[in-house]
Amino acid sequence: MTIQWLALILSLIVLVLVLELVRREKLTFKYAFAWLFLSMLGVICSVFRELLFSMASLCGFELASNFIFFAILCAFVFLSLLMTVFLCQQNKRNDKMAQAIGLLEQELRELKGRTDGR
Amino acid sequence: MMLKTLVIIPAFNEAEAITGIVREVLAQPVRVAVLVVDDGSSDDTSVRAAAAGAMVVRLPFNLGIGGAVQTGYRYALRHGYDIAVQVDGDGQHDPLFLATLIRPVIDGEADMSIGSRFLIKQDGFRSSACRRVGIRFFSALIRCLTRRTVTDPTSGFRACGRRFIRVFAAYYPSDYPEPEAVMVVHRLGGGLAEVPVVMRARRSGVSSIAFLKPFYYMLKVSGAILLHMLKNRKVYEP
Repeated sequence: MTIQWLALILSLIVLVLVLELVRREKLTFKYAFAWLFLSMLGVICSVFRELLFSMASLCGFELASNFIFFAILCAFVFLSLLMTVFLCQQNKRNDKMAQAIGLLEQELRELKGRTDGR
Repeated sequence: MMLKTLVIIPAFNEAEAITGIVREVLAQPVRVAVLVVDDGSSDDTSVRAAAAGAMVVRLPFNLGIGGAVQTGYRYALRHGYDIAVQVDGDGQHDPLFLATLIRPVIDGEADMSIGSRFLIKQDGFRSSACRRVGIRFFSALIRCLTRRTVTDPTSGFRACGRRFIRVFAAYYPSDYPEPEAVMVVHRLGGGLAEVPVVMRARRSGVSSIAFLKPFYYMLKVSGAILLHMLKNRKVYEP
């Protein structure tokens, strides 16, 4: 029973924390979405633990706790993969931005040279 | 005194429609400057827009509608425009209504004026039933939270004055920004007005809200609207 409370409190803390970060604009909704989804799932699972137990036996876990560890691990694999995707996107954008600035600078220098030479 | 007006047209791969829309805007009796923000198109949207007489800003990669529109607001702020108007690059918004749209802003009746498709009978084109239900839902949600009536909060056909040019240049919501921008105006105590407009079928491109996205769209926008009620007003202030 106490474990259930602990799980509930923990997922609620994560949920409230993510909401607070979005509220303060430290986190945009796009990036917060997966966190919100998973923490809400955590709240649901800790309230309706029968759901968790039946899912555990359905997946062939003898111990529900093992299933919980497994589920959390899956969630983190998913989250870190998502982060890597976002990171790659940022990286690509950063490269393009550097190229765009470099090209602009070159064009500007050329223009300046042309006007100075006149 | 003549007010300086800038028409911001965000466009992503709209090569087919852009020439027509830029020409239509420039043909209006209202004198405006047109800025096309090419949101990282892979076709020749920017070349055609420039040929049609628009100023063009090309973004090095796709930022999405929010980032593109904000680029326009930053331009407007930098160059001292009094009014900024958003017109979609897909030909959905009829520039014929430009004068009607900016009227409430010029007269000082509102800080932001929104062109609504629900205040006038739409002959010909109507948005799909799903979409209309979605819009009505957001409208009801906004009315619930703000006690203000905005019949078409997703409309991207809108105009605003100096105050919100400054605000939006500093803070503009990212994906699916229109209903959220309404919330920003509300939170900062700005005046909202709606004017009746007739919308047309898009001439090219696909809606940015396609396939699997409606689900995410509804959740994201509803959640974001709710959160705007909780946000500290400081996050919007420039």
